[in-house]
Amino acid sequence: MLSLVERERYLRQISLLGETGQERLRDAAVLIAGAGGLGSVCAQMCACAGFGKIRIVDKDVVERHNLNRQVLYAARDHGLFKVDVAARRLRENNPLISVEPVRKTITRESIGGLVKGIDVIIDGMDNYDARYLLDDAAFGEDLPFIHGAVNGFYGQVSSIIPGKTPCLHCIVPHPPPSGNVPILGVTVGTIGSIQVAEAIKLVTGLGKTMAGRMLLWDGLMGEAEVLPVARDPSCTRCNGKGVFP
Amino acid sequence: MKVRMKSFAILRQFLPRETEVEIGDGSTVRDLLELLVKQAPPLAGELFNEKRELKDFVNILRNGRNIHFISGLDTPLSEGDLVALFPPAGGG
Repeated sequence: MLSLVERERYLRQISLLGETGQERLRDAAVLIAGAGGLGSVCAQMCACAGFGKIRIVDKDVVERHNLNRQVLYAARDHGLFKVDVAARRLRENNPLISVEPVRKTITRESIGGLVKGIDVIIDGMDNYDARYLLDDAAFGEDLPFIHGAVNGFYGQVSSIIPGKTPCLHCIVPHPPPSGNVPILGVTVGTIGSIQVAEAIKLVTGLGKTMAGRMLLWDGLMGEAEVLPVARDPSCTRCNGKGVFP
Repeated sequence: MKVRMKSFAILRQFLPRETEVEIGDGSTVRDLLELLVKQAPPLAGELFNEKRELKDFVNILRNGRNIHFISGLDTPLSEGDLVALFPPAGGG
């Protein structure tokens, strides 16, 4: 049952999701992996939508050059740990949810604890080493993993579902060169919002997710494309588990 | 024979979003890329390293399947195939 306060707060979306859908969001725990550009947007959108528990992980502090796109932070937050500021902002935004900030790097050692008790993993990372660790954890723990990445005006989203779709290693077998890429706030706003739309659909069972498909967004040309993604037949992570070709 | 080609992201600076390419029977993905580079020389820097090998992070799908999992640049093409070229994004 939703409380009166919850009914009021979520009034304009309960008509879309139903009370059961809203209850499912309230009962869901989401891991936001990274509190940068994508992570800021994803965390904010998850808090607004009413995901009951948000665990947000990042090791960095707020720097001035983050502020063009990392919408959770203000100029006064310079030098503070991102996850601490994020937790404060998210709790201010929605006091009905629980927010757990974790100041950690995602490593092979830390990942097990980070996904414990989690229902959905959302990718807010800026490198593929960490993304592949999240992907491994998703397949190890049978959790959906919503991949997102950006570069300049471009971005991509795919929902990775163990047992149903190819893993990230199959979708992106060779990562692009690492290093800082140009990023606009509008691109992370677009891609992060689509990632959370995926999370809402996965948790409520509504609509059709980007499982087995990848959305490519080109904000420069104003074009979007959806491509099918396929497994590497020799993949040892998802081989035999995928129903997609 | 004719194959269809789609390009995305940075490659859109050199290629149309979608086009039909006339190419000789028995051609491979390598032949297609060489033809495209002939038409738009700066494309070479986006696709190939200095040894003229494909930059491994450039994803090329033939009918939805990554050529990395088929025969790489030697992957054969047939009439009507759809080839999609996209370099994945990495930032967050």
